[in-house]
Amino acid sequence: MQITAPLLAARGVSKSFFGNPVLRDVSIALQPGRVHALLGENGAGKSTLINLLSGALRPDSGTIEVDGRAVSRMTPAIARQAGIAVVQQELSLTASLSIAENIGLGAYPRRFGLVDYPELAARAKAACDLVGLHEPLSTPVGHLSLGRRQMVEIAKALYRRPRVLILDEPTSSLSATETKILTDLLKRLRGEGIAILYISHRLNEVMSLCQHVTVLKDGTCTADRTLEGTDAAGLVRLMVGRDPGDLFPRWQPSASPANAISVRNFSAGLMRDVDLDIRTGEVLGIGGLVGQGQEDLLLGLYGAIPARTASATVNGASGLPGGVPKANALGLAYVPADRKREGLHLIHPIITNMMLPAFARVPALKLRSRRAEREIARGLAAQLGIKGDLDRSAQALSGGNQQKVALAKWMPHDPLVLLLNDPTRGVDVETKREIYHMLRNFAAAGKAIVLLSSDTPELVHLCDRVAVVREGRIVAMLARGALSEEAIVSAAMGAGQRKVAA
Amino acid sequence: MNTPSSANQSGALYWPVQLRRNVGVRSLFAVVLVFLVAYGILFPGLFTAAGFAKFTQSWFPLALVAMAQAILMLSGGISLAIGATVSLGAVIAATTMAGPLGVAGGTAAVALTGLGIGATTGFIVVRLRLPAIVVTLAGSFIIGGAALLILPRPGGAIPAWLSDLLAGNTPAAFALLLLIVALWKLYLATPLGLSLYAAGENPVGAYRSGVPVDGARIAAYAISGLLSTGAGLFVAAQTGSGDPVIGAAFTLNSIAAAVLGGIGFLGGQGTMRGALAGSLLLSLMISVMFFLGFTPVAQYVAQGLIIIGAVAVPQFRKVQQ
Repeated sequence: MQITAPLLAARGVSKSFFGNPVLRDVSIALQPGRVHALLGENGAGKSTLINLLSGALRPDSGTIEVDGRAVSRMTPAIARQAGIAVVQQELSLTASLSIAENIGLGAYPRRFGLVDYPELAARAKAACDLVGLHEPLSTPVGHLSLGRRQMVEIAKALYRRPRVLILDEPTSSLSATETKILTDLLKRLRGEGIAILYISHRLNEVMSLCQHVTVLKDGTCTADRTLEGTDAAGLVRLMVGRDPGDLFPRWQPSASPANAISVRNFSAGLMRDVDLDIRTGEVLGIGGLVGQGQEDLLLGLYGAIPARTASATVNGASGLPGGVPKANALGLAYVPADRKREGLHLIHPIITNMMLPAFARVPALKLRSRRAEREIARGLAAQLGIKGDLDRSAQALSGGNQQKVALAKWMPHDPLVLLLNDPTRGVDVETKREIYHMLRNFAAAGKAIVLLSSDTPELVHLCDRVAVVREGRIVAMLARGALSEEAIVSAAMGAGQRKVAA
Repeated sequence: MNTPSSANQSGALYWPVQLRRNVGVRSLFAVVLVFLVAYGILFPGLFTAAGFAKFTQSWFPLALVAMAQAILMLSGGISLAIGATVSLGAVIAATTMAGPLGVAGGTAAVALTGLGIGATTGFIVVRLRLPAIVVTLAGSFIIGGAALLILPRPGGAIPAWLSDLLAGNTPAAFALLLLIVALWKLYLATPLGLSLYAAGENPVGAYRSGVPVDGARIAAYAISGLLSTGAGLFVAAQTGSGDPVIGAAFTLNSIAAAVLGGIGFLGGQGTMRGALAGSLLLSLMISVMFFLGFTPVAQYVAQGLIIIGAVAVPQFRKVQQ
């Protein structure tokens, strides 16, 4: 059907790390003028495939083809020359350099051996205009928010006028508006004949943007087909290889009228004058655009950042905890969003990570009981379905399993209130489902769950109530009956009547 | 945020970028100015040609080693061998310039030694992926040993006319410093020079962007070595002879000056103008305290307190924001 050669293709590539096969006989072909979705759970081999396509890694067997010709030794330099640009999840920016200097990095226009600043300004400006970046080009990237930095990263890829654009979860830190700009842009680039490989965990984006999909599962390709005639549930089936049933557990009310936490005129970080009651046995969602102060709300309640309040009751004690040890003693637990930096100690064994909160509770010089620790850790691993040797370092785990460890470490202390900061970000579908079930079960057992999330469907389907935060205030408190993606997004955008197209 | 200011941004980019780099060091400049005024009041001779010449000469070697340290710290490295390299530069200058090589040959020997030592250190640190602090600590023993082998005790000679030119009543040192700063600006305007920041702060990202990360970092070490032996040559000219341990104090002072100037230890943070201002501040502090009659012990204590304060103040300000 396609007569043109694919711009970039992998033919039957395999790759192992230390004897563990990560990719087995995978093929993918990126055609011009098509947005190609690459789906798969964490650890399915998506990143490895990208690294093979961009020359960062070399396949053990199989070939990488550019314009239909096999490239024997693909390197990042060859990939760049062939017009392949990759927007990785980890940003490649330098905070102290300006927007323009970052965009041109590695490919500065030169004049007499020096960076040609006027030319750089003109070309960087063109790239910024494409992604809707209007900050002055001399602004240091360190002054920008995470979402804007992501847009700089995309502008940096566009600056090189790529023929093949690979985007690895580009929208994970973008606001709804920025996401809209990006999807419009990708549609336009597609029209210009660029081949786009798009990786995302947000299925609705994939459905609206992509034409073709390759699904990886455990390093093998389970589908390579057009997206026409599939729906989100079908995609999930392709990824997990079986019917997912309901991603979300059936909702049953379990909230009690008793308040676990009650604050009046609460201020912390960006949050100003918030009145909030968190009931035991409920899942309270915190929604809104990225960076409106949601995180400060959780951290303030947890005592990790300074907070002020007119009156507060936390699990029967009056006043805010004011510090993490006190918060833990009152039955609060916090699971951070950035599990690599805040949630876990990556180089330490899984078991040590699980035991850390326990270490904080025993007298500092008491002898440890390794046997008791191991028993507890085994129990936790079984309870949460964490696979693998507990003596391995936490960094060896996939993202989903890391998140489970970050959650598991609080379980022995039976917290009454769980403050969760985006617990499913970058987590594969199967683990998401497990986490959702776990959270509902916790609520049914009488815990209060506060779920800060950037994933609107999970707010809609999992929560009893959702507080939508905008500019440091709770602008809407949506009860179960009033919950819908439209209601959350329109409250978050601050325009009740304005709806955001998907 | 979204003010469309496209009209004024499409034009000049270089100068706005340069101005932005001042943002972090403005308060430092103000402090330096206060110390300059204080020094000028305590020692009005500063504003005579001879006084200015003497003051800039006392600052010059510290400025060079501060730059030598700053360029490494910007690239994500550090050096504990700067003092030893200064000594070696001084020793080579004192043993070659009066001999058959002459001043030109001696200067070339000093420069090549600096570049060679720097490039070798850089190669070991960058290519063999060894920790810079260990490699340069070992390097300081080797380089210091080499200086002692060449000249076991102070001696050698620097031609008198060169000493008069560099360390007499001329502003030659200041002119040289201006030239070095201009060369640095030129280097920073090349793709390799600008890549230094990216290679220091986000080496993985820089590599993926096509930046020759290893090359940029090895070049930084080479330039650092050149600046260090150059400082040694100047110190030899000041004293008129070579001393194999004269540079010892420069290692820690170079770090102190860079830190005072706002250079971070994590790579890519800070500016060369900051490091230069830091070295000037250190130099001024020593002179002002001397004029105020501080005992040497009190000078050291005060110096230490000021350095901690210089690191703490921006930190507190960040927390308050």
